[in-house]
Amino acid sequence: MFTLNLNFSVLAVELIFLITGIFFFLVDKFIKNKNYAYYLVFLAILLGFGFLMFTPFGDFTKAYQKDFFSATIQLFLLIGAFLIVLISYTFLQEFRALNYGEFYGLFLFSLIGAFVMVASQDLLTLYLGMELMSIPVYFLIASNFVYGRNSLEGSLKYFIAGALASAFIILGLALVYHSQGSLIFKDIFTNLAQGLNKKELFAALILILAGFSIKLSLVPFHMWAPDAYQASPLPVTTFLAGIVKFALMGAFIKIMILGFSPLRVELGTFLIPIALITVLIGSLLAIKQDNIVRMLAYSSVAHVGYASLGFLSGDYLGYGFILFYMLIYLFTTIGTFGLLIYLASIKREFLEIPSMSGISQKLPLVAFLILVLFFSLAGVPPTAGFMAKFYIFIMLVKGNFIGVAILALLFSVIGAYPYLRVIKVIYMDKPLYDYEKERYSISLFIPIILSLFIVLLFGVYPKPAVDFIQRTLYLYMNMLLFHT
Amino acid sequence: MVNLPNILSWILWLPLAGIFLIFLLPREKENSIKIVALLTALFDFLLSIILLINFNYNEPGFQFVEKRLWLDYLNSYYFLGVDGISILFVPLSTLVTVLCILISWRSITEKVKEFYLALLFTNIAMVGVFLSLDLLLFYLFWEALLIPMYLIIGIWGGPRRIYSTLKFFLYTFFGSIFMLVAIIYIFLQHGTFDYTALLGKSFQPHIEKLLFLGFLIAFAIKVPMWPVHTWLPDAHTEAPTAGSVILAGILIKLGGYGMIRFLLPLFPQATLYFAKLILVLSVIAIIYAGLACLWQSDLKRLIAYSSVSHMGFVTLGIFSLNPIGIKGAILQMINHGIVTGALFMCVGVIYDRTHSRAISYYGGLASTFPLYAAFFMIFTLASIGLPGTNGFIGEFLILLGTFLADKTMVVLAATGVIIGAAYMLWLYQRVFFMKPSPNVYNLEPMKWNELAALIPMIFLVFLIGFYPNPFLDFMRASVSHLLTNLP
Repeated sequence: MFTLNLNFSVLAVELIFLITGIFFFLVDKFIKNKNYAYYLVFLAILLGFGFLMFTPFGDFTKAYQKDFFSATIQLFLLIGAFLIVLISYTFLQEFRALNYGEFYGLFLFSLIGAFVMVASQDLLTLYLGMELMSIPVYFLIASNFVYGRNSLEGSLKYFIAGALASAFIILGLALVYHSQGSLIFKDIFTNLAQGLNKKELFAALILILAGFSIKLSLVPFHMWAPDAYQASPLPVTTFLAGIVKFALMGAFIKIMILGFSPLRVELGTFLIPIALITVLIGSLLAIKQDNIVRMLAYSSVAHVGYASLGFLSGDYLGYGFILFYMLIYLFTTIGTFGLLIYLASIKREFLEIPSMSGISQKLPLVAFLILVLFFSLAGVPPTAGFMAKFYIFIMLVKGNFIGVAILALLFSVIGAYPYLRVIKVIYMDKPLYDYEKERYSISLFIPIILSLFIVLLFGVYPKPAVDFIQRTLYLYMNMLLFHT
Repeated sequence: MVNLPNILSWILWLPLAGIFLIFLLPREKENSIKIVALLTALFDFLLSIILLINFNYNEPGFQFVEKRLWLDYLNSYYFLGVDGISILFVPLSTLVTVLCILISWRSITEKVKEFYLALLFTNIAMVGVFLSLDLLLFYLFWEALLIPMYLIIGIWGGPRRIYSTLKFFLYTFFGSIFMLVAIIYIFLQHGTFDYTALLGKSFQPHIEKLLFLGFLIAFAIKVPMWPVHTWLPDAHTEAPTAGSVILAGILIKLGGYGMIRFLLPLFPQATLYFAKLILVLSVIAIIYAGLACLWQSDLKRLIAYSSVSHMGFVTLGIFSLNPIGIKGAILQMINHGIVTGALFMCVGVIYDRTHSRAISYYGGLASTFPLYAAFFMIFTLASIGLPGTNGFIGEFLILLGTFLADKTMVVLAATGVIIGAAYMLWLYQRVFFMKPSPNVYNLEPMKWNELAALIPMIFLVFLIGFYPNPFLDFMRASVSHLLTNLP
């Protein structure tokens, strides 16, 4: 007799988010003071932390598994989401037309999608998680319509790109199902290990990669990114650049470890031109941007390119360093966008790079924070951005991709220019506007200072984070060996 | 020798305390900021003098070594130590910081807080480069130095500062890339970043050459050697006085120091293979930059080009590959730091009063500003290498060393000395003699901070000029030990 053992405790975090999210949609209309939503979501995330830490590992049917890997990624996602909620508060105080419970509700739904995606055990769950993560974001981008008409354009572009990604992934799924009659990662691995259906499965992997690279905005699928980033409310941009990309990288690494690992060297070879061109295009196009969000969008393209260089050697250590890279990028992004929210709350024009000139005169602290975070993005020691790149390059040289490493490093010289330009503008140019300082709100500056702290700490002593990630991967891999 | 626990770490990180204090001070209290910065730098200098006194110069290896595990996955250590090659640079760096703070006392009027923060940060990075014996640590300090320099030139510099600072940053960032790849490769080959452990290791010949080139590009851009020198005149010209002094005093020495520290012992075969090429490039730098000096119309630019020429002597001395030449090169780096640093300070003194760097703007300063003229004269003569000044000792040793290695090069390089005399004396004539220009009357007399910055330099010029032996003693054992590795 076939029985389903539904172990809801492993889904506790998702369930809490689901209930909170639904609560927002049902009740928000009747509550006048919209700030309740912030406290509620704050509480939900804190509860989420507790449940994530203290519920035991286990399966929910065959589709979802809470284990070392997924719990670690979920923990990072949760920390990131927590910080983004903190910075959203100040943003929504300033941009009141967006201050509705639904904003946080959609945010939570998207987070559930990310959680499901990184914990999935088969391709279909992964796909569903990915859709659940993306669809609320389409709404969130479009919600900015009150403040900029181009938000519809951004949302639609992201939506169409996302639909294309779905099409690719579904096609990949169909190929996998056609060749082996199952979508479970472990079956893929068994088949590949026995050398069955290698061609079909590789084609399927490439299709899935295409889907992922649309979402991750790898070249040639990067076009939506600047429009969508610029059109979104700033916390949503942070979410898109930090959380969504981190979750996607985590999920892709999971696919590669669990399912397609016999193909990882082939995948690495396939990714060489893609990753390199992504870095180049991202760095080059960032140079000319006058809008800082747009500039950061292109820089985000380049950063994902650097991170995906970690796939090249096909070494599991490299996968760990990808996660480290994305983690550092996540924190740097949160800090940067937090500062942009602060600047935008003083004057909307500050989102244009030329208008930022001379802000170091009146806002020395903000200017200093931008300085540190941007040097980290440019990859100059002693910041974490350098360490993240350094580990990736170690893996490249180790895998004998010395040419690739040199090229990528050369591109990083080009990529440094946009950040240097912003630093130049804020420190070395004359101020354009007269304005009043805003109060440094605590909920905004806690995430910023934290990200600064992380950037500086991991810049000189990255060991804790790297060890944590690598140990997780190691334990996860051991568990896999032990089970099969 | 007294017991000095962790003195290197103290020297390295002491400015951090100053940075922290300045960070806490409100920006309106400019005087307190300056005093805190000065005291920190002075104390740091004092510590480095204590280090110098306790240094045992008969010991060729590293002293005051500190080694702690830093990143265990990478087998990288927090590994500090000094030997005869680096010992002199440590007090030089801390001294330069003190003098920079003094010379900027009045001339920096905006963003004072940031300026002194940047200066102290520069101090940490400079000392860190000279002290670290772990390749990764070395690279970290090497690159970290770019951040404050980018700001110092870009914020407080002259009219074309932004172009210059970007050029400076991108040039050096570009150069470091190849060094980074070489460092990673060395690590993967031998599994360590530890410099002392790498000394005995060897590489396949063609790999060794590539690694050598990787390091060379970084160092050559920093020195700067002839084809990649173009960032230096721009950066020097546009930097504020303190920035120029740091650039001339320490920053470009890092390249020469790196060559002696890493290229010669780690890649001996490749060093022999490329030595000739570098000698040729050095001679080109000496003559080309010397000639370029002759048609400069800007005071600072002229001195900047003379730096390129002087650093040509340094690389010539290093790649003569014998103890005399190398000792001369190290001494010449110290000398150049003192003399050119002082010349930039002198230019800063007059620039603060007239706000012009054009040579044609001046004339007859000797009669209207005699004290200043005397200072400038001493440093001019030291720069030319007049016997009795420190410049002479360095150049003489280098030429002697090169004579043992390659006689043609000596003949060519010696013409550089003559060109040097020509451009410096001509400069002196145009600025200080001739009919007084209307712009140079009623100049403010020299202030205490300017005198305090320049007098130690004069003392050093004559000390090394008349009695160089103690300085050469410091490096003797280490340099001869260094050359035992070369076949």
